[in-house]
Amino acid sequence: MATQENNDDRIALLQGTLDLLILKTLVLGPCHGQGVARSIQHQSEELFLVDHGSLYVALQRLEDKKWISGKWGVSENNRKARFYSLTPRGREQLVEKTGEWRRLARAMALILDSGTGLKGEEA
Amino acid sequence: MFRRKRSADDFRAEIEAHLALEADDLKREGLSEDEAHWKARREFGNVRAAQERFYMRGRWIGLDKLLRDLRFGLRSLGQSPGFAATAILTLALGIGANTAVFSVMNAVLLRSLPVEHPDRLVYLRTSDQPRGTGTIDTTETFSYAVYDALRQPGRGLSPVMAYVPLSSTKVAVRYGAQPEEAEGDMVSGTFFSGLGVNLPLGRGFSEQDEKDHAPIAVISYNYWTRRFARSPQVMGTTLYVNAVPMTIVGVAAEGFEGVEPGGSTDFWIPLQDRRELNAWGNPPDEGKLYMAHSTWWCLRMIGRLAPGVTRTQALAELQPVFQTAAYVGLSGSPQQGEKPAVLSLADAKSFPGYDQQYGNPLRMLMAMVGLVLLIALANVAMLLTARNATRQREFSLRLALGAGRGELFLQLLVESSILVTAGGALAWGFAELATRLLGQWAQIESSLAPDSTVLLLTLAVLVVAALLFSLAPLRVALAGGAELALKTSAATSNADAGKSRTGRIVVALQMTMCVVLLVGAGLLVRTLRNLENTPLGLRVDGLVVFGVKPSVPSIPQGVAFYVNLMNKLRVLPGVESVTIMEERLGSWWSDNSDMVVDGRLPDVANGASRTVRSNVAGPDFFRTLGVPVLAGRDFADSDTAASPHVGIVNEQFAQRFLPNVNPLGHTIGPYNVPYTMTIVGVVKDHKYRSIDEEPIPMAWYMYAQIPYLGPMHVEMRVHGEPLAILPAARKAVQQLDPNLPLIRPMTQRAQFDTTISHQILFARLAGFFGFLAVVLVATGLYGTLAYRVSMRTAEIGVRMAVGARREQVVWMILKDSLLLTAAGVAMGVPLAMLVGHALTSSLYGVRPLDAVTYLLAVVGVAAVALAASAVPAGRAASVDPMKALRTE
Repeated sequence: MATQENNDDRIALLQGTLDLLILKTLVLGPCHGQGVARSIQHQSEELFLVDHGSLYVALQRLEDKKWISGKWGVSENNRKARFYSLTPRGREQLVEKTGEWRRLARAMALILDSGTGLKGEEA
Repeated sequence: MFRRKRSADDFRAEIEAHLALEADDLKREGLSEDEAHWKARREFGNVRAAQERFYMRGRWIGLDKLLRDLRFGLRSLGQSPGFAATAILTLALGIGANTAVFSVMNAVLLRSLPVEHPDRLVYLRTSDQPRGTGTIDTTETFSYAVYDALRQPGRGLSPVMAYVPLSSTKVAVRYGAQPEEAEGDMVSGTFFSGLGVNLPLGRGFSEQDEKDHAPIAVISYNYWTRRFARSPQVMGTTLYVNAVPMTIVGVAAEGFEGVEPGGSTDFWIPLQDRRELNAWGNPPDEGKLYMAHSTWWCLRMIGRLAPGVTRTQALAELQPVFQTAAYVGLSGSPQQGEKPAVLSLADAKSFPGYDQQYGNPLRMLMAMVGLVLLIALANVAMLLTARNATRQREFSLRLALGAGRGELFLQLLVESSILVTAGGALAWGFAELATRLLGQWAQIESSLAPDSTVLLLTLAVLVVAALLFSLAPLRVALAGGAELALKTSAATSNADAGKSRTGRIVVALQMTMCVVLLVGAGLLVRTLRNLENTPLGLRVDGLVVFGVKPSVPSIPQGVAFYVNLMNKLRVLPGVESVTIMEERLGSWWSDNSDMVVDGRLPDVANGASRTVRSNVAGPDFFRTLGVPVLAGRDFADSDTAASPHVGIVNEQFAQRFLPNVNPLGHTIGPYNVPYTMTIVGVVKDHKYRSIDEEPIPMAWYMYAQIPYLGPMHVEMRVHGEPLAILPAARKAVQQLDPNLPLIRPMTQRAQFDTTISHQILFARLAGFFGFLAVVLVATGLYGTLAYRVSMRTAEIGVRMAVGARREQVVWMILKDSLLLTAAGVAMGVPLAMLVGHALTSSLYGVRPLDAVTYLLAVVGVAAVALAASAVPAGRAASVDPMKALRTE
């Protein structure tokens, strides 16, 4: 029970990020969940370890919000899979969220970079 | 896009697909089949958690939990259908009975008149009407002269409204070609405006209408619905009332059915001044109609307190006016030694007359069903406690695993709510049905349908029940505490529950209530028996009665009609004798007045009443009724207008006014009226108005000799089935006048029975509720005992293993319930005595401390207790010690 609660905390923290990453991934075209996970992992140079369970819950959440739509289809290696694609609404959200994230990142950077001597390490 | 929410299965399939895809990828990266599958799954993490989160997404967690509790509750109730059915049925009966009786009580006693500010309305009442007046009701009716004086402006009441029925029953009306009957009132011009009754259609009356005696009518919403199918076309059409054309000008507000006590009025017309429309449908008395007749007190009055005036102020202003007007047409003031009439004002907020008629029986019934409800609630609570005590370990385990008390309570609440909801729904249906039946039996004409007040009360009861049913078992469930889960033996873990003191107290209290109910029901049922077996003093079997209402242009013509009619009826085959009378026997009506004996008002010993009840009768009257003539003779055909005036009195009359002398030959007559007659017969006392009356002095006039003749009732004594004569009688009547119907034809027995119909109804209901209580107590006791025995199986096994005999075990169980019974009876008998005392006024021929009733109630409760204990005791005795010990 206790571990699950910690999980919940983490999801809550990462929620915005994960949603944004999913939307960004789908901009390239329809993709199934496993593909999305691989893509995120790959593109972040394996820095992000995507919790698959959370990913599927997030996909469902986005679908419920009608930002993406899901449809069963067949993968390139002939497996049944649920393919997600971006809706127009999702596209708007992507633009908006990207802007938000940029502003957030910039603000974070401003604070973290302000002369505490840790600059070198991160760079 | 618009399909329904995704199912959990679909989500699971997606995860399976993911795992397969991931495994494919991993294999491609060089892992073996097994490794790939294993790693895919490991990397995914907790599949189940993801599914759970999928499931939870967008749900209100509390509701979900509730649904789960609900499903769990339903499942666990489904596993014990017997328990569920018993609990639901018990609740439905208990709550349904309460809802039904309460909705009748609400409609009859608590609901306000549907008028503006009903709290400002007052009925006018009087004490001691002046001597020499004729009255309809000794405290509620007034003369037109009094009305006319009180309604003058500036006297505290604004306005004063008079109303009077056009007939003591129903009045003949005709709409189109069809003659029918309806209940109609003549009312003041201020009636609708003064009461503040809305007229959804048309208009009410004006004071000018009253002055002009305008031929217009307002019909009730109910009558409009029933008779005219709510057609607006009815406005402006003609309704013939006693053949007088009245134009319908309005429809009164829905729910307003007049202010006649206990009745519902179909139409109203302004006060009239014509022969056909005299008050109460009476023929003119000495040529005078009600308006000119200052000593006929026949109008009821209701008033509205003028703005800013209190009841006391209004009364102070009206009293002197009343006391002058009351003696108009008499000597102008009270006679010597006569108490002056005093006006008073009574609350007119609620429906008129019902309190008098139904107040006490209804309050009594309400108390009874209240007790039944308590018993029912206690039963279900005990059943639930017993059932949940067996789940004590389940609860303990859950507590031990960290469940909160709140969660346990919630689950119990959900379970009890299921029972209560099902029981409540069933109860509502049951109540609707019962209310309709009650209304029919009691002949209450106003609407009894449960309204929002009733619904609210029922819901309140249900909520209390639901809480009670979850709190009571919770105590037991929690009593074990978390450590109980660690105990292993039923012998130790259940012993406490088996001896629960609360359970014993509840059972004893149920017995107490059962005793009270049985005594109450017993007293009422015995009252009913007494009423049904009361000797009437006349040979009632073989008598049939019906009314005729011929047009009587003059008295000789009227007498001729009745002579003709009797002659025609007497010769019908199977007819033994025929007579006529003005007031029908056993119809609650009587004509009461003071009488002069030998030229003066008689002295009466010990302040006894001087009131004499009188009736107008035809020849062969007592022979036909089968009332013994003790001295002198019956009326005969030879008594005519030309022969000396004769009268007959009963024993009471002779004893009170002519003690120790031969009453025959003395002259008597009504007070203040120049008519005398000579007593020619004395008859045995017999029942007259109703079955439960005490005999009072009576005198009979000969119909052919008095200066007054109107509709009469025909009484026939026939051989065989009395009602079989009616077609022949109808033919005979219609030979004389083809338009005359037989009015309310029935056997005289049935007519008398109507006077105890309320007692019959309430005694039956009381009997039913008493029986219901017994059944409930029996099931409750059986359930509790059976449960306790099953809890003690191990203990009994041990006892038998160490040598206890079967009888000892049986006795142990029986002793327990006998003790409870004794305690219940000890508490119940004094309580029942209180109840019996409160019932005194409803009893007839049985004392409130009737020993037989108490004995029967106690024996009944004891028998129920024994019967309910016998099965569990037998089961206890047949416990196989080895098996009992091995159950662990």
